[in-house]
Amino acid sequence: MSIVLVGVNHKSTPLAVRELLALSDDACASGLRSLVDGEIVREGLIVSTCNRVEVLTETAEAQLNETTERIIEFLTRANELPRTQFETQLYQHTDDQAVRHLFRVASSLDSMVVGEPQVLGQVRRAYSIALEAGTTGRILNRLVHHAFRVAKRVRTETGIGANAVSISYMAVELGKKIFDSFAGQTALLIGAGEMAELAARHLVNAGVSNVLLTNRSEEPARALARELGGTPVDFGRLAEYLPQADIVICSTAAGHYIVTEQMVRDALIKRRNRPAFFIDISVPRNIDPAIGKIPNVFVFDVDDLESVVSSNIREREREAERAELIVESEIMQFQQALRALESGPAVGALKQMLQDIARQELKRQRNRLGALSPEQESGIENLLVSTVNKISHPVLSQMRHSTDASDAEIIQAWRDIFGLEE
Amino acid sequence: MRSLLLAVLAAYVVAAIHAVLAFINKRRALQRVSELAMAAGFLLHTVALGADWVIDGHYPLFYLRETLSFLAWTLVASYSLILYRYRARPLGTFILPLVSLLVFIAVVTHSVVDSSTNTIAVRDTWLFPVHTTLLFFAYAAFFVVFVASVMYLLQERALKLKTFGAIFHRLPSLTTVNEIATSSTAIGLTLLTVGIATGMLWASSRDGLLWHNDPKEIFAALTWLLYVSLIVYRSTADWRGRRAAWIGVAGFALVLCTFFGARMMGGYHVFG
Repeated sequence: MSIVLVGVNHKSTPLAVRELLALSDDACASGLRSLVDGEIVREGLIVSTCNRVEVLTETAEAQLNETTERIIEFLTRANELPRTQFETQLYQHTDDQAVRHLFRVASSLDSMVVGEPQVLGQVRRAYSIALEAGTTGRILNRLVHHAFRVAKRVRTETGIGANAVSISYMAVELGKKIFDSFAGQTALLIGAGEMAELAARHLVNAGVSNVLLTNRSEEPARALARELGGTPVDFGRLAEYLPQADIVICSTAAGHYIVTEQMVRDALIKRRNRPAFFIDISVPRNIDPAIGKIPNVFVFDVDDLESVVSSNIREREREAERAELIVESEIMQFQQALRALESGPAVGALKQMLQDIARQELKRQRNRLGALSPEQESGIENLLVSTVNKISHPVLSQMRHSTDASDAEIIQAWRDIFGLEE
Repeated sequence: MRSLLLAVLAAYVVAAIHAVLAFINKRRALQRVSELAMAAGFLLHTVALGADWVIDGHYPLFYLRETLSFLAWTLVASYSLILYRYRARPLGTFILPLVSLLVFIAVVTHSVVDSSTNTIAVRDTWLFPVHTTLLFFAYAAFFVVFVASVMYLLQERALKLKTFGAIFHRLPSLTTVNEIATSSTAIGLTLLTVGIATGMLWASSRDGLLWHNDPKEIFAALTWLLYVSLIVYRSTADWRGRRAAWIGVAGFALVLCTFFGARMMGGYHVFG
């Protein structure tokens, strides 16, 4: 038994080629049905996203090269591409390497932005397509479920997805560092820029209680207020609302400072020095950077956010190193589970062995029984075999059960009890 | 009681190591181990202190060994309260190693039994346990203020300079550490006030003097003034955040002077 993975990703292959190889959901399903013939390619699964096209298959060890060949042929056929155009850029992983690759993909270690959560959903969908197409079996089912488990472990045990890597989400993350929780906090959105809107949405999802929106022209602010469940306020009276705002997100097209140092100083006195958090996403800046010098005021402009994002990406990469260790230990566990899966035939062997014992005993004791008709002889044999079968039935069905559950320890115990070889 | 104290030390060391590892690795499981070990250590510690009191016949705050052990005990008690109230686990990363160190010194220190100290006079009054216990809890509270203030300053600096290291992501939010510092200041100051008052009461009942001008008294008074001003400033909201945090740090320097004052400079307060 061998697991083979052939494919391209954003590291191995430029987008120009990847987009030619990409397959729609329907193309994946029909492609799988034609690729998986049950003899050479026994099981199959295709992950096709904007960053990768990968074909995962299970085959007999002797058919490894043939399988790879068929996958390449399939990719050529499905996309009507000359194979010279992509063949050299394909990577091929077998067995442990293929397992490692799938685990890393599902855990978002192989992603462009390490730790992004979407890839797991994409693998899930690829699996459900293959499941519907009926091209997964014992091995791939187990492998993919194991990959989901690894992904979950990586997410909960490392901080790989912990720190924001998008500017719009930074508002939430930094806000949490300042305010702890957003319950009871008020956000003020100045301008209706796309980035500011996205940041505000994140804040609302994170639990900000009140959202005030203001814009030079009132209509966009009203529309957004309806959508976010906020309150539109008069742009001209900005200074009056400033003291209420714990978080201010500013993104307008104005060429000057809309929020001045004096405004913030006044607001802070009214706030009794409670901390205030300003995010300026506009270029040129709309919030006077000088307010950063005021105690209890924290201001971030686009450049600041960018640099935090890149430092967070570095932090994620550090966490990724720990995730790799989890992947390695899970590969070992998967190997164990796989060995257990392969013990399925042992049940049949045991049944045969018990029946053979019954027959041998009959042969040994045959002389004592005296003359018997052939019908009587076969009757005795049937009696013995069916007795053995009846007695062993609960044991064998338990054994099958353990095999299906792939409980390696119990299967090993079964083997030890009956002295079965691997 | 040394063997019991050794068990206490072992539990605290386990708790401290796991707290540090949990801080670094952000692992919940490690944190649980740390908290369980701390709980076990605290229980044993309480038993050890109680046993000392019963066996030695005096409140266990005479010799350096006892003082350090008792201080560690108050720190663990304070940290437990903070855990319960704020779930601010990172504080343990800094408090538990100190606790372990204090208990370690307590274990290796041989108590010099000096019969010339007026143990008899002390043994007779109920004011001694009250006076000292209150002040030790006040010290612990001020240490918590100190740690929370340092955490505040580190994060405030990071947010102002926009440079976020690994530590930044692991500390509790500014609001949380600020609240911890504020409430600990209030609690510490209350304990300090009552502690000083009982001390004066005791002193006046002994020799009719409220004030002996001894270094410990002077430093205690300075400490008291500083924390009163901190409370006042915090409540008038002028000095929120960074300035308040700096006072919390400076205040702890005074607390250390108060604590070691008698030892270094001698005076009326003969015990640790």
